[in-house]
Amino acid sequence: MSAERLFSTFLFAFAVAALSLAGPARAADSDGTDAVAMKQIRSEIRQMREERKRDREVIRSLEIKVQQLETKDSKVQAGTQQLQSTDQKLKETTLELQQTNARVKSLQTKVDAPIAPSQFASDFGRYLGSHTFQITGAAGFNFVYDQQSGALDGLHHATQNTFFFNFEPMFLYRPADWILFEGELEGSFGQAGTAVDLPLADFQITLNDYMMIVAGLFDQPFGDWYENQSPMWVNRFVSAPLPFGVEAVVPPSEIGLQLRGGLQWGDLGQDVDYTVWGGNGPNFSESVPGAAIGGPTAIASSLTNGKSIGARVRFYPLPLDEHLGRLELGASTYNGKWMNGHWFNSWGVDFNYFNGNLQMRGEWVQAYRQMPSNFSQDNRQGWYLQAGYFLNGLNVPGFPDKLNSYIHRLEPLVRYSGVNQHGVAIDDIHGATGVGVGGLQVGLIPDFGLSGSPALFAPHSREVALGLDYWVAPSIVWQNEFDIELPRAGGVFVSSTGASTPAGSIPNDHAFLTQFTVGF
Amino acid sequence: MRKLFITRKLFVTIVLAGVALGSLSRPVFAQAPSKEEKRRLILKGSKLWPVYCNQCHNARPPGEKAPYEWDQEIMHMRMLGNIPADDARALVEYLKTR
Repeated sequence: MSAERLFSTFLFAFAVAALSLAGPARAADSDGTDAVAMKQIRSEIRQMREERKRDREVIRSLEIKVQQLETKDSKVQAGTQQLQSTDQKLKETTLELQQTNARVKSLQTKVDAPIAPSQFASDFGRYLGSHTFQITGAAGFNFVYDQQSGALDGLHHATQNTFFFNFEPMFLYRPADWILFEGELEGSFGQAGTAVDLPLADFQITLNDYMMIVAGLFDQPFGDWYENQSPMWVNRFVSAPLPFGVEAVVPPSEIGLQLRGGLQWGDLGQDVDYTVWGGNGPNFSESVPGAAIGGPTAIASSLTNGKSIGARVRFYPLPLDEHLGRLELGASTYNGKWMNGHWFNSWGVDFNYFNGNLQMRGEWVQAYRQMPSNFSQDNRQGWYLQAGYFLNGLNVPGFPDKLNSYIHRLEPLVRYSGVNQHGVAIDDIHGATGVGVGGLQVGLIPDFGLSGSPALFAPHSREVALGLDYWVAPSIVWQNEFDIELPRAGGVFVSSTGASTPAGSIPNDHAFLTQFTVGF
Repeated sequence: MRKLFITRKLFVTIVLAGVALGSLSRPVFAQAPSKEEKRRLILKGSKLWPVYCNQCHNARPPGEKAPYEWDQEIMHMRMLGNIPADDARALVEYLKTR
């Protein structure tokens, strides 16, 4: 029972009690007064009952509202819990999303970033393996125009107007970081047909920082020319200087063994290097004075009685940081028995200077060949001096930039070379061969890099060569050479029996050679 | 005859002395350079490249050849030019930077 109900019952009982107590008194006072009072009481009771009814209704209404509020509150609480749960899930999802974004960004960065060259090199190196192989070398297309103004007695001669092609692939194979195989083939197509030669084939073995061994068929490490200047894209001219061309003073190559190395003796750039070698020895086309020194093929099949020995020292005095350029001073010797007990002795000095656009080089070579008693001594001298200057610093005022950019690629050159020897073997002129290309040239028909001029074969030949190179790229060049042959009178031509006839006066000559060469 | 004997003895002596000296120096199989060493070599190579190469022929740009090709080329050039070993290492590291 609720409190309100108890309170209403109590009021009703109290009213009944009050009426029972007041009855006798009223009877005593007056019956009319009592009736009015009773009516009033009944009215009040009725009013109270109505009020109680209204109160009950209000209470019921309030109870309903409370119930509704309680229901709503529980719903709100449930909603709040759901919201909290959802919020928690959202937070977790956001965290996961952030982590995923970070991963994606990291991957994207890796994907977008270019591969570092060192990384690529490392990967590529693994792909290639430790044994590496490479083809390098050069190819050249050549044209010779030689207006032969005079002849040598009894020899075929003609004005030359001829194209040539030469291909010199060099194979490098490196099975380990201490050994390298080098092999070069030389294929030439020219007026007298095609020829293939093997000028180089050797192993290069690194012993340590100061010593290397070279074993096989190699360019003669005498002076600078054969080893360093003979490749066609390296030689600034189309032709070789006279003492390293058809009238070679020392053999162009050797088959044997070298020990070589270099070290820094002072500041950076101040170096010294050495080469000592031995081989099959010198070989001549004939035993008569003036016979040509054998080329690679002849050297390889050489049947001399003794072996050769050679040595070269080169000295670099200028420190790099002084910016004075690089100067090389060298001295070489090569000696060996060419037949029985007869010695061939030679020595030479060379220099080489490079500074900015200027490059100069020169060599002096002297050779003594002991002859059998019935022949005279066969001594020879040769030299060349060469200079070139790149015009890449020259801006001609008034010229358009385009034209100046062409001028910057030009390198004018000049070279003076000569050979002195008492005699020249006439058979060599009949069947002369160019350096490194055995058997292609016949008589005075030119070879690749050789004008074929009769004046080249004079006992005292002299040549002034003017050059103009246009460098398309560091190893792609269009070379132009104008040769002025100025042979001195004197000397003899020697037959295969040793009989000599005076060479007399040999006419001057001119030749033009042009060559497009790519070094690769 | 005596001259030939002397030259032969001289040649053999030089070779043997060289091999003996060589065995005392650092090993052929050099380890890969550290980061600092590599930096030193590259800086040195950048000074040597325009001078040493141009002395004989036009210097070929580093980008012309792949790094493994430079390993071979410089080994070959070290022989031809008798380039000191550390200079050759500097040149090859510089050329391989491309």
